[in-house]
Amino acid sequence: MNLLPSVFKRQLASYLSAPATYLSVALFLLLSTLLGLHTSQLLERSSSDLQGFFQWHPWLYLLLIPALSTQLWADENETGFGDFMKTLPVRPAELVIGKFLAAWVVAGLALLLTFPIVTVVNLLGSADNRVIASQFLASWLLSGSYLSVGVFICALTRQRLAIFILTLSLLLLASGVSSILDALERQAPIWIIDSLTSLSPLLRFGLIDHGTLTFQDGAYFISMIIAFLAATTVILNYKNS
Amino acid sequence: MIEISNLTKYLNKKSVISDVSFSAKRQECLGLFGLEGAGKTTLLKMIAGAIQPSSGQVRILGLDTHTHGYHARKAIGYQPESGVSHPTLSVKNLLSFIATLRGFQGAERRRRVDHAASRLELWPVLDYPINTLPPGLKRKVAFAQALLHDPDVLLLDEPSEGLAPHQQGKISRLIQSLADEMTIIVASRDCEALAGVCTRALVIGGGRLLADTPMPELQRSSRHFRAVTLAAESALDLLALAVLPGVAGIEEDRHGPGTVTVLAMPGHSIYPAICALIANRRWEIHSLNLEPGRLNDVVHHLSQEASH
Repeated sequence: MNLLPSVFKRQLASYLSAPATYLSVALFLLLSTLLGLHTSQLLERSSSDLQGFFQWHPWLYLLLIPALSTQLWADENETGFGDFMKTLPVRPAELVIGKFLAAWVVAGLALLLTFPIVTVVNLLGSADNRVIASQFLASWLLSGSYLSVGVFICALTRQRLAIFILTLSLLLLASGVSSILDALERQAPIWIIDSLTSLSPLLRFGLIDHGTLTFQDGAYFISMIIAFLAATTVILNYKNS
Repeated sequence: MIEISNLTKYLNKKSVISDVSFSAKRQECLGLFGLEGAGKTTLLKMIAGAIQPSSGQVRILGLDTHTHGYHARKAIGYQPESGVSHPTLSVKNLLSFIATLRGFQGAERRRRVDHAASRLELWPVLDYPINTLPPGLKRKVAFAQALLHDPDVLLLDEPSEGLAPHQQGKISRLIQSLADEMTIIVASRDCEALAGVCTRALVIGGGRLLADTPMPELQRSSRHFRAVTLAAESALDLLALAVLPGVAGIEEDRHGPGTVTVLAMPGHSIYPAICALIANRRWEIHSLNLEPGRLNDVVHHLSQEASH
């Protein structure tokens, strides 16, 4: 994993030099602020946490994450640089993890840029910053798990539009598991419903959103990230062999 | 150094490389010659690890590229035919990034990038976005990155195509100087340009290896080997030339009136006899050349024979 920092730095530089990154982050910030402050009337409720603000994040990530995912391998695919990279001594795992971490940092930066809301909440009321910090961490973990899905899709196809649509569809499906479960409540056995409920990232995020982050919740998101990154590495190894 | 055995590649159920086997020792410079679509690039890509063979084996320094691809790739420098391109990086940043991936850091990385850039005379374009360079310069950048780590095996795909003639000469001299340090395989459609550079010639056609022979042997197999080409203002007495001992035939140049090529029978030297005839007849000759053999004709002929 010696080359991981180099791949990470290159990908981060690629994100920071792409106008699409700024556009998607700006859109995320604008929508999250509008929805958080206006729709959920965050300030009027004088809440000690930012539940009304974070509850929109799973849906806003449906725009931000596919947009970031399309840029993951864009440099390589546009000019045939990806085929050339196969001749360099870089392991697929180094590429996958390096690129994922860079995208995750960009998602983290987008989250950090929402800090004025925390300042406002602190100024206007008695904010519980421990809960807010855990909500931020949970949101970042959720973005990481969604990004890992995007990385996985990138290993399957090179088309930007296909990456965007497939990632969006898969994340929509994951987000809509709760609605499917509601529909299945009377038809399927309870243990199946319970198992699927525990696998839904949206429901899991909803639980964290209400209070502090538990070890199981953190482990859930991290294991999801590891699973998708491992699957991506396997696919790339298979494609190269 | 390089061992290729029974290498075969199918693309869309069509065989593009068929049962190719050869080996190369250290300090050998192999020319991989063939017409367009012969399979040269595919073969080089398989050796470089960019594509995997359908069957057969590539061993670099004794390492199978299929099972030990990572370590084999460390020993290889590869210049793709299309050069190297990137949508955002400048030439310097690209070389620097690849040097990092090759495991060089800090001052050593800068030294390697500077050395490769000066070897390929890339200083004037070092800060240019690589995407804006013409194909010939992209190839030079690709050549430079292939040299960054002083590879044991250097694979070059049409390195001088798209360059001005004096630049092509410089590239040939560079390849010749590198052959003292590493094993080189250089693919080209123009084997005349590499005649003085390569020690061995591999001729490929229709994905099959048609010839694996030392370069002088390939030259000897040309029907123009030891032929004499002479150009005069007035018409020459072709009959006088034809009856000289050892003359196999005479070819008139359709595009250059007054220019004829006198072919020699195998093992015969006709040059002294022609010189004596010119002196005797007092012909006014513009040029008189003893030909080393037309390699492109040989490759073309071999490829034509193989396709029938």
